[in-house]
Amino acid sequence: MSTVIKLDDKLKAQMADILETTDMALFVRTSDESMHDWEREKIVEALMRETVIDRDTAILISKEVEAEIIKSGIKMVTAPLIRELVNAKLIEKGLEDARKMHTRLGMPIYDVDQLILHPNKENANVPHGPEATNLTLAETIKKEYALLSVFSDDVSDAHMIGDIHLHDLGFIDRPYCSGQSLEYIKKFGLNLPNSLSMAKPAKHPEVLLAHMVKFAAALQSHFAGAIGWDAINIFFAPYIEGLSDKDVKQLAQMLIFEFSQQAVARGGQAIFTDINLYWEVPKHFEDVEAIGPGGEFTGRKYSEYIHHSHRFVKALFEVYMEGDGSGRPFFFPKPLVHITEKFFKTEGHEEFLNLISEVAAEKGNTYFVFDRGETAKISECCRLSFKLDENDLKDAKQPWRMRYCALQNVTLNLPRIAYKAKGDDSRLFAEIYRLMELAAKAHRQKKDFIEKLLSHKEKGPLALLTMERDGIPYLRMHRATFLMGMLGLNEMVQYHTGYQMHESKEAFKFGLKVIAHMKLITDRLSKTYGMRFVLEQTPAESTAYRFAKLDIMRYPKEAKDVIKGDISNNEIYYTNSTYLNNSVEINPIERVRQEGLFHPMIEAGSLTHVWLGEAKPSASSLSNFIKKVFRFTLNDQIAFSPEFTTCNSCGRTSRGLSDTCVYCGSSDVDGITRITGYFTKISSWNKGKLGELKDRYRNKAFINQGEI
Amino acid sequence: MGSVKIFVKPGCHFCPAAEKIGEILKSEGFPVFHYNIETPDGLAEAAFYSVMATPTIILEDESETTVAQWRGVVPQLDEIKSYLR
Repeated sequence: MSTVIKLDDKLKAQMADILETTDMALFVRTSDESMHDWEREKIVEALMRETVIDRDTAILISKEVEAEIIKSGIKMVTAPLIRELVNAKLIEKGLEDARKMHTRLGMPIYDVDQLILHPNKENANVPHGPEATNLTLAETIKKEYALLSVFSDDVSDAHMIGDIHLHDLGFIDRPYCSGQSLEYIKKFGLNLPNSLSMAKPAKHPEVLLAHMVKFAAALQSHFAGAIGWDAINIFFAPYIEGLSDKDVKQLAQMLIFEFSQQAVARGGQAIFTDINLYWEVPKHFEDVEAIGPGGEFTGRKYSEYIHHSHRFVKALFEVYMEGDGSGRPFFFPKPLVHITEKFFKTEGHEEFLNLISEVAAEKGNTYFVFDRGETAKISECCRLSFKLDENDLKDAKQPWRMRYCALQNVTLNLPRIAYKAKGDDSRLFAEIYRLMELAAKAHRQKKDFIEKLLSHKEKGPLALLTMERDGIPYLRMHRATFLMGMLGLNEMVQYHTGYQMHESKEAFKFGLKVIAHMKLITDRLSKTYGMRFVLEQTPAESTAYRFAKLDIMRYPKEAKDVIKGDISNNEIYYTNSTYLNNSVEINPIERVRQEGLFHPMIEAGSLTHVWLGEAKPSASSLSNFIKKVFRFTLNDQIAFSPEFTTCNSCGRTSRGLSDTCVYCGSSDVDGITRITGYFTKISSWNKGKLGELKDRYRNKAFINQGEI
Repeated sequence: MGSVKIFVKPGCHFCPAAEKIGEILKSEGFPVFHYNIETPDGLAEAAFYSVMATPTIILEDESETTVAQWRGVVPQLDEIKSYLR
């Protein structure tokens, strides 16, 4: 059967117009690795397919472009060049929206060359190699795509000029970070969409560990940032029973090495892994039925496994204490120990506190998370934590349901707000509000985009996050958090009041007022849009540098007086989030106390760094310090950061940063310390962080006096 | 003379009683400052004094050193006055 289409005269004329192609001896090199003869109608087809302009205009543009090419006498053109000529015509005709839709994404050959040859310094967690280059190339295109296609012009422009920073744009098709429960894979095994095989629940501890590592890797390819695990030592405990101490130590060693070596194995970014650990069994898990080998309930509660959870967590810290094969600290997984009222009531806590303090002093690994009162939370990312609310505590009865995510982080450039306000409080607070509304808009746009991807369910790009092994999607969108970050509060206050936060009580109080204002705005925005907006201390590994660079260009007169670092060699930065100036000599307990005053307002979590340099406090003074912080401050979390030099020649590691190996004299050495919330080699740091490293006050006098 | 700082929030059950005490003290000539923690100024001041419960009453001397405080509870008027004399 055939179909007869009658063409009216107008349409006939249009078709003739399209089909009438000038006979040109011109070849087009296309992006699908082939060479074609010149066909002007391809321009029309593309414009009709990709934009919303009318056919007549498309034909007109194609003719104009063709005329220009003929005039130039060129014999070979590339598809991207034709596209740019078409784009120029669209701009000439005022068709800006169409031009945007018709944009080609990509990179100049010079940039690709540089990328392949040189390491990526935006994220010190990415090694340099072919797989990492693929990651960066893909990120570059996705970043452009996000700015052109996912976010509206006002949001994208605010990002590009540096009023705000949209984090992880290169991972636009992924949520930001997540926290999960080992119980999910203990109960359901490793049964993932698109997987070539399905594994039943693990019967042996090593298999459970293998499932955990593989699931973490699968999750990492679906999230931009950290993958956190809650109460690892408690949930492993039923598998530990019956193992000798030697086997428990072996398992702990396997866990830490598996996670710390994933970057080498995968070639891309290391799995940014946090493991949350408890000395006590938290109240919300005490009476929960334990899941044991084969995914079966063991008939006992988790509180009955406390002995085995102790054995495992002690073994983990013994491994951290030893470090890797060269005695270096493990970069991942990061151990987060929760210090609670119950911690201090649980037998053996003194000895355990001493052990984790010793590891903190020796290697720096331990993160001390303070959950005061009835607060229960799990921590992700560099400092992001999820406080468990009433619904979460109900979920705790079925811990496999406990999985959380933050969908995106948007950070405000606080110093620039002060530059614009010119000393006027009203303008300053109004600008904060304007930018937070814009950040909320960015969050809504990202949420819409992710929801679109999720709507394709198990056939879509985020199939893993839509799997419903327990009857609800793995990504619980209705529980998602949207992060509002801040950067450079100290410099904002300095410019606005004339003093840095540590220099005057009024300046410090003004800093508190800014964060209070931001906290109340997030509450209001949450009610308005029915989304959970919370403040976060942005880790700002590259943003602290990016904002500083942009401001020294756009606001040189204002920025030069407050910006930190060395302007002469471009090692400039803003002080992270709500921190006090890094370089100032402040008693560490006072720094922890003062910075901690901000923490209750920053719901998504906060952290104070105590830089140690080459000095090594004793375990006992460090554990006393922890007790003081818990009892007398409101600080959320602290980490102690020593510095190391590791020798690539003799393979040994020494304390402190030096240009040569103290053992063999070789200059083939790497410095290691925390960049933001994780350890890494200093050679991979960006210039801003290098500037900060030079400024860091390392508490030597206080360590010598036994204050820490 | 130091000052009395009273931290309240709308809807808090015992806050009106704390505010009433503040009004009485003010009428008797004591410097009293009220802070609603749902305003930026109030929340900032509450953060500075680590106020985690409402109502909270903090008494300071002339050098801004805390001499007495009641967090999450409302004291008797006489009890406060005993510190103010």
